[in-house]
Amino acid sequence: MSQKINLRVWLKIPDAEAATVKNTLIRRLGFGRVLADVRKERLFSIEVDSGEPQELAKSFARELVNENKESHIVLIDELKFEEGYVPVKVALHIEDGEAISTRERLRSRLGFENVVDVKKATVWKLYFKTLKPEAEAVAREIAEKLLINPHKDSFEILS
Amino acid sequence: MKIAVLQFPGTNCEFETLVAVKAVGMDGEIFRWNRSAGELSGFDGFVIPGGFSYQDRLRAGVIASKEPVMSALKEEAGQGKPILGICNGFQILVETGLLPGSGKCGDRGSDRGSEKGTGKVDMALAQNVMVSSGKIVRRGYYCDWINLRHEASSKRCSGSFSIERGALLKIPIAHGEGNLVTATPGLIKKLNEEEQVVFRYCDRNGRVINEFPVNVNGSTESIAAICNEQGNVLGMMPHPERAFFAWQLPAFDPRKQRPDEPGPGRKVFESMKRYIEVNA
Repeated sequence: MSQKINLRVWLKIPDAEAATVKNTLIRRLGFGRVLADVRKERLFSIEVDSGEPQELAKSFARELVNENKESHIVLIDELKFEEGYVPVKVALHIEDGEAISTRERLRSRLGFENVVDVKKATVWKLYFKTLKPEAEAVAREIAEKLLINPHKDSFEILS
Repeated sequence: MKIAVLQFPGTNCEFETLVAVKAVGMDGEIFRWNRSAGELSGFDGFVIPGGFSYQDRLRAGVIASKEPVMSALKEEAGQGKPILGICNGFQILVETGLLPGSGKCGDRGSDRGSEKGTGKVDMALAQNVMVSSGKIVRRGYYCDWINLRHEASSKRCSGSFSIERGALLKIPIAHGEGNLVTATPGLIKKLNEEEQVVFRYCDRNGRVINEFPVNVNGSTESIAAICNEQGNVLGMMPHPERAFFAWQLPAFDPRKQRPDEPGPGRKVFESMKRYIEVNA
């Protein structure tokens, strides 16, 4: 039976890309009234068909996470987020070359033959001054106006 | 005849682009993104040069596309002034909605940023995916000398105004996101029918082969450059300013030994100048 190992990875150091997105949303796109902060995570969803998932997750983290600058948590067969922000998952809907390369690296170069599939996404954590459901509606608007190009990306509100 | 060469944080081809602008007899200056956008109206044409605006954060060109200077540039484009976007400049024009700039094909996508004076985004320049014999052989950043075939008739587009249909240009590319994709129904057909496809990648004999290494980035129908409906806005992934003088050509090209000759990229800047002269 296959299992899905989710690695949520984020920078311990300041995230310049998240800061730029926040700045653009507030200063250029007029979301300053409702938006408080923007943070970002990388998300790897690795499907395996055998092996002990927690041990595998540690091995994958050694390859995919740079502990000098990044933190991570592991979630097996689930994907949940903390309260206090709206998580917006952005992924390519066209072929994701990086995800394929990661899968091939894990399978062929690093010997994890039990890896079936790898999916990669960015999770934007949008902190709002307003409450749900308005926050989720604004998150959707932000995704459409900035976070995605619909010709290659898709998004999903995860909360 | 004064040209503004736009400079965003992370732009890195502005100086050689300005040299090319001046070398064909136009006046020009580098226009920083945070100058008053209204000053753009004092220019006759615009170039958005290559580089990595805002470090390609989020995706190439998107942060720059939200700057006020781009809203002002859209107004200038509406007056028929020529705009040339090279590489990252092309990506910025796409994210701004200035290219292809039709808004007529299908109704997918949101009217993103319209309240800021930018238009509907009809396509994307996605990550390079190089395909050969049905297999992906390479991905990501790639730089090389490539051949372009001019697809439009002369005078159709400001940046190829003086170039005959079928002419071949050898010009370098250097990018990681030049793979033109679109989910807009009928867009590619329309671009072809209305001669908005300005250049395609081809081999040295002008044959378009939709596989790597001729199609260098997996772009739909080997498209390397497109213009808007009016023809005054051109976006191209290759760098004409890097093939402006013959001495810039690669060592294997015999023209390199004749440094006084113009390089193939010069025609793009000469076209812009001619377009302005004709439309003045």
